[in-house]
Amino acid sequence: MRKNQTNSQFVAVASIAAELSAVMDVAKEISLAAANAKAIAFRAGEKAKGFQPITDFINELAKDTIELVNEINQHAMQLYQLTVDEYRMTEAHNKFELAAKYAKGAQYEQSLNAPRLKAQQNMQDCLRQFNAHIAQLLDQLGEVMHPARAARVIAANSRIEASQAGEYLQSLQAVAESVDNAAQVIHDNVQRCRSALSFITITE
Amino acid sequence: MKMTKIYEGSYQWIMYGRDENKPNNIIDTNQYIVRTANRCLLIDPGGIELFAPMLAAVLHHAPVEQITDLFASHQDPDIISSLGLWDQALPNAKLHAPAIWEGFLRHFGCDSIEYVAIPDNGGVIRLENVELKIIPAHYLHSSGNFHIYDPNAKILFSGDVGAALETPGAPMYVDNFDAHVEKMRYFHQRWMPSNQAKRNWIERVRELDIDVLAPQHGRVFKGDDVRRFLDWFEGLQVGTAV
Ligand SMILES: [Fe+2]
Ligand SMILES: [Fe+2]
Repeated sequence: MRKNQTNSQFVAVASIAAELSAVMDVAKEISLAAANAKAIAFRAGEKAKGFQPITDFINELAKDTIELVNEINQHAMQLYQLTVDEYRMTEAHNKFELAAKYAKGAQYEQSLNAPRLKAQQNMQDCLRQFNAHIAQLLDQLGEVMHPARAARVIAANSRIEASQAGEYLQSLQAVAESVDNAAQVIHDNVQRCRSALSFITITE
Repeated sequence: MKMTKIYEGSYQWIMYGRDENKPNNIIDTNQYIVRTANRCLLIDPGGIELFAPMLAAVLHHAPVEQITDLFASHQDPDIISSLGLWDQALPNAKLHAPAIWEGFLRHFGCDSIEYVAIPDNGGVIRLENVELKIIPAHYLHSSGNFHIYDPNAKILFSGDVGAALETPGAPMYVDNFDAHVEKMRYFHQRWMPSNQAKRNWIERVRELDIDVLAPQHGRVFKGDDVRRFLDWFEGLQVGTAV
């Protein structure tokens, strides 16, 4: 049973990495959209006055997201390493138990007790660390949701500001649209990460 | 797992093999140990599937903490894919293995075991007062490959050289050399790549005083069958797949 659980851990951790790299791409898109919007707002001058601080804000949000995702990625790598360790330790623990069964009556049967105990402790340590990492990762993922949510609010504001921008209306609206979409994608990806993670929290 | 003592003096050589619980689709292997008063060397400890039965078998002869040395003749999975498990069972052990395979073998997991890299020209393994010679056997069949010679017990552990593909439960010793040849031919022709390497090895091995030639698969050669094997191998064309 532990073996299957470990296999699904590998899959979950790998899928988190995939989701995160998608989040990263989208955050970069937002950052690009912000630069784009800044240029348009500059050209629009007075007509897009209200739009200019918004573009800075969008840019900040994109930066925050990229930073957070970088941190989360490092965490996910540690989680992967722990999964590998845990896989090896569980494997060792199971094989030591099997060896103990086969060694019944062997002259030096008792000498296996120390490695058996150690394997069991290692495995439990690993599980504990693994669960602690998952809890932290869930928190961090929650944090990524904040900029994404804020971005959606900003996108709504942008639309209002864009409506006053005369001939620039369409291009600014397109910016607002793409920020809104990007924020939605991040939100969904992060949500998927979180549910993948909550699946693999392990009971000792 | 069958256990056979192949040398008994102030120390012992024990051979393990013919494991009845082994899945049928993995090749049967012979594992050997050299047991001195306080130490124990495992020679080609085997694949991951064999770890538990092998460890259990060794516990009849040595406690875990006295398993101080492992030797891997080459990098094949049937030789040493169990490394990651030994690594967690043995806190203070050394693995003697070909230098060129270090970066590869570490994929199996080798954190607490110390990797002692054997240079291309071989070396020695000392177990208390027993000195075992590491004999180069490159390209037989692996490009970095060693055998172990015990000059006192007159045993040559010959890795995949002398191997035979046997039916389950075959006897431990060769009893009819001519009949045995057919079980060896394909293995040597197909797995051994180089006639030159083969000749070089035979030349060097003929200079050793050998009573027992102990391969990693199949049966052990004793007495005159050792010379018969060397003669037969000398005449055999290998590397036949190209
Ligand atoms: Fe091999
Ligand atoms: Fe082999």
